[in-house]
Amino acid sequence: MKLVAVCLFVLTASAFAELQWDNPDQNILAKVTDRTVVAKYHFTNAGKELVTIEAVRTSCGCTTATLAKKDYSPGESGEIEARFEIGGRVGHQEKAILVTTKGEPHNPSVLHLVVEIPETIKVQPELVLWRVGEAAEPKTIKVTVADGSPAKILAVVTDTPTVKLSVAEGLPGKSATVTVTPNDTSRPEGATVMIKTDYPADNPEAHYAYVRIK
Amino acid sequence: MTGWRQAGLILCASAIPGAFSAAFHPRRPGWVQDALKPGEIRLADVEGWRGTVRWVDARSNGDYDLGHAPGALHLDLLSWPAAFPLFLDQWQPGEKVVVYCGASSCHLAEEVAEKLRANGIDSVYVLQGGWEVWKARHPSQ
Repeated sequence: MKLVAVCLFVLTASAFAELQWDNPDQNILAKVTDRTVVAKYHFTNAGKELVTIEAVRTSCGCTTATLAKKDYSPGESGEIEARFEIGGRVGHQEKAILVTTKGEPHNPSVLHLVVEIPETIKVQPELVLWRVGEAAEPKTIKVTVADGSPAKILAVVTDTPTVKLSVAEGLPGKSATVTVTPNDTSRPEGATVMIKTDYPADNPEAHYAYVRIK
Repeated sequence: MTGWRQAGLILCASAIPGAFSAAFHPRRPGWVQDALKPGEIRLADVEGWRGTVRWVDARSNGDYDLGHAPGALHLDLLSWPAAFPLFLDQWQPGEKVVVYCGASSCHLAEEVAEKLRANGIDSVYVLQGGWEVWKARHPSQ
């Protein structure tokens, strides 16, 4: 008799939390100009009872998820909006959103957000380092504009004459090798290398690499 | 025989407080330790290191403002362009760098650690359990 009661309880609890998701796994290709990617997860309460969404959690502080309200009557639809802040991220990013309902607190719906972020301009490495007293041998930084990006490298400059730069252009405006040579490595020093671009046209971005003698 | 009995009594007398500590001490070690992922480090191991440890807080700016490890620098991928040169000004070659985020479930610390390594920063670790573990160990800070 107890077993029957437990089974009934489990079945009833499942029926309480029957959210049907239209597109729980979303793949988004971000544009080079995007700062935020927004994904909308549409759902319907396909059960016969009210569903209360207790919590919506994300796997990363870079993603926030918002919900207009918590209670959904049978047949009622709703939407969770996930906002992914790109920040300095590039490449393939996978994030998860966990939706917990009152009926199934230990069995959340897992929504997936996959974002491909193109890197407009790649500066590698961002740091060139010499130890104090080390031979002042030249070191190189490679600057590459992503395929398909309209950006062009306009100039590479440094903020201090304590390092010498020489720029060898590869594909015009699209790739360059910057050779950095410090004048003196006998004491700690720092410099910034600025890579000026023409993109976006209304507010062209600069990218940076750093020179340190430590 | 009396000797065996005394030894048994001593063992019992020490086992009782030991059992209480194991069950109720706020800083008791866990019975099972999670395996370390590549690049991860346990807080107990960090506390055993000699020399300077450079702490990096990869959580959001708001979480950092609410509390962080003493001397920790805020550096996440959102603040990277502005914060990375600040990190470079403080960091010294040879120092161990420990990056943490909110908890084991977050990946922000791994992202930041990976980017630091890609730029030639050696000895970069991710704190297992993140801020949750640090806070549990230092509840007053």
